[in-house]
Amino acid sequence: MRYISAAFQGVLDNRRRRPAYKIYAWDPSGTTISQVAAAPGNLHAGLPTPLDITPYASEIAWSDKQLSFTMVDPKNFFHPDTGAYRNYLGDGAILRLVEGDEVLSETDWVTSFTGQIHGQVGWKKARHSGSVTAKVSVFGRAETQAFKRRKITTREYSVGTDLGIALYDICETFMGLTRAEVRIPFTLGRQFKHKVNQLAQVSPWEAITSLLEVVCYQPYFDGEGKLTYVNKSFQRPPAKVLADYVRCVELEVPENSQDGINKVKVVFLDAQLERVDGPYQKLGEAQVTTGFFSMHENLPCWWSEDHKQRADGTSMKVIKSVNSGLLPVGNESYEQKDDFHGEIEVEILVWVPILATVMALEYVAAALIPDETTSTSKGFTLPTVLSAPGAVALVAPPTGGPVTGVITMAPIQVVAEEVPGTGFTIPWGRVLQAQAMLGIMLIQMSIGSAQYEVWGTPYDYAYLEKMSIAMEDGLDYWLENEKEIKNDFVGSHDQADTIAVTELIWEKSLTRPRRVVIEDDPSLEVGDIIVIPDGRKILITGLSKKIKRGEVASLVIDGCKVMTP
Amino acid sequence: MSIRKIIDWAIQDQKSEMKGNIASPFYQYQDYAGSWVWACDVDLGGGEDNVLRSVPVAANNREVIYAEQGKGVSLSRMGSGKWAITGLSKTLNSTVHMIFVSFVDDVFQISGRRLAGNIIRPLSYGEMGELIPPFGYGVLPYGLQGKFDAQGNFMEIVEWH
Repeated sequence: MRYISAAFQGVLDNRRRRPAYKIYAWDPSGTTISQVAAAPGNLHAGLPTPLDITPYASEIAWSDKQLSFTMVDPKNFFHPDTGAYRNYLGDGAILRLVEGDEVLSETDWVTSFTGQIHGQVGWKKARHSGSVTAKVSVFGRAETQAFKRRKITTREYSVGTDLGIALYDICETFMGLTRAEVRIPFTLGRQFKHKVNQLAQVSPWEAITSLLEVVCYQPYFDGEGKLTYVNKSFQRPPAKVLADYVRCVELEVPENSQDGINKVKVVFLDAQLERVDGPYQKLGEAQVTTGFFSMHENLPCWWSEDHKQRADGTSMKVIKSVNSGLLPVGNESYEQKDDFHGEIEVEILVWVPILATVMALEYVAAALIPDETTSTSKGFTLPTVLSAPGAVALVAPPTGGPVTGVITMAPIQVVAEEVPGTGFTIPWGRVLQAQAMLGIMLIQMSIGSAQYEVWGTPYDYAYLEKMSIAMEDGLDYWLENEKEIKNDFVGSHDQADTIAVTELIWEKSLTRPRRVVIEDDPSLEVGDIIVIPDGRKILITGLSKKIKRGEVASLVIDGCKVMTP
Repeated sequence: MSIRKIIDWAIQDQKSEMKGNIASPFYQYQDYAGSWVWACDVDLGGGEDNVLRSVPVAANNREVIYAEQGKGVSLSRMGSGKWAITGLSKTLNSTVHMIFVSFVDDVFQISGRRLAGNIIRPLSYGEMGELIPPFGYGVLPYGLQGKFDAQGNFMEIVEWH
């Protein structure tokens, strides 16, 4: 509901009215619409003085979206080529309609329209009648095509940021609005739920519409050219109650030949990523050649070549063990290190290298053990002296020289079967070497290549696309007329439920259009709820009137029935 | 019907991408030309009871067939209007809140709520033995697919290929 001063409200209430209006125009070369909309008054010192074109305007038709009138311009002030004031009706010219009452000062009046001329006004001079007329159409700020066609990408907003902050950013950065031109609360009470949030490749109007959709608002430029909103929820008090039909001129139920929306689907991405498991499968494999020469082997095993795959519940399958030989020589274990990889550990038992070393040393040492030999041989007799005692006469010459004499010796006797160098012998060293060799071979036979596989459940995270559907009860499938709203700023099912139900009720209300014509009331705005004397509530979706000098205009209210719980 | 609405619907009808969940194991499917292609059934979510049957895997996407049942896939519309699986999706269809609103004159009332969103998955041994009397384990083949509601309640056996 538009703010009305107490003085103006008093005049409206007592119905003794002398309606007055003014149309102001600003030259766009020296003024921006932003300056006009943000200024506290039309004749404010900070604003270039507007041109009052009221005397030239007639047949004024006003609506909440458009202002059109006919210029009566006998002196060609507004001729598009030569007129002295042509810039005031040129492309981009800013116009405002101010309405009030003659008994009030202009400061108590209300600005009911702010807009711009798009393109060129029509201008006609007729020779036969001598009249010079120009048709002027001024469009509200919401009709600015740049707001709706240019695609933008916003900066990123972190989780927890209020949606209102993003909305104000977009208004300032991409729509050129100052804070004074935005009447939407700075905080909307809804926060971004995702970690990083951006609006990409949408028009500014779509962006703010999406943000406001979360709180069931709809963006709208009011009469002063400020951005505000229409609340789609009907759970709010009416702006005006008509106690009787005195001010009502007409009540109409217009024809509606459209199929109404009876099912609203709100789709949103849940902020929490959901874990999605893959099938239990082989994630990786490892092989190793190990044995006494290696005390310890660590084999990292990744679930994917790019080290990006996550997995859980992993375990090792031993395809070929280090213990597949004759003796168990080591321990094999597996541990999952993180979501992306695990580690296989092969630990060789300590006795294996020790034994290997000892056996090798023994083998070498045994090579040095000699075969045993003795000085007596069985089967042999030593030569014996057979001479009788005293029979031996050895005479040594007195002058020296060889001793002469005779000694009789028994010959060596050899037993034929005891001849040395025949038969079998096993050297002790060879036996010990063989034993050491067996030990070494045993250890060598117990080593080799081991092969392992790691199995588990791979998983990834995905966004869950959730949905809330509000639909008319008892609706058959073939009667559904659906409207889908996709909005990733919705954070929970509760929020989505509220939006779906509110939107469905809004759409159902729109299928019940109503039109009321009442005495002009400048306090009413689009989005207001009024109560007509029989108690029915009507939501205003559009306003229009024709303004004539000295006459109270009839305000045409286009709306729809308000559904109540 | 406003022109704008009709245009919006027309644009929406021309959408060339969809998301869905794999609702069956991948199987070989013979198309009308006699060619064998890998395909699976896809649950499009949104509370719909029917799944999209025999959706072929697009060429050069063979790794998709290793995806597990329940994973999200993206579908692209082919020229003929048929859909093909073109890859894995980062989104997954999930639960649906259904809210039923009744309207009488100017008064509306929320008349009911339901949690929708079916899950199709193979039945476990235990479920086959208990959920589907009088058949049970040993009569029904392992790998049989069952449809469960959003609360996990068994609904029905899904026809198997």
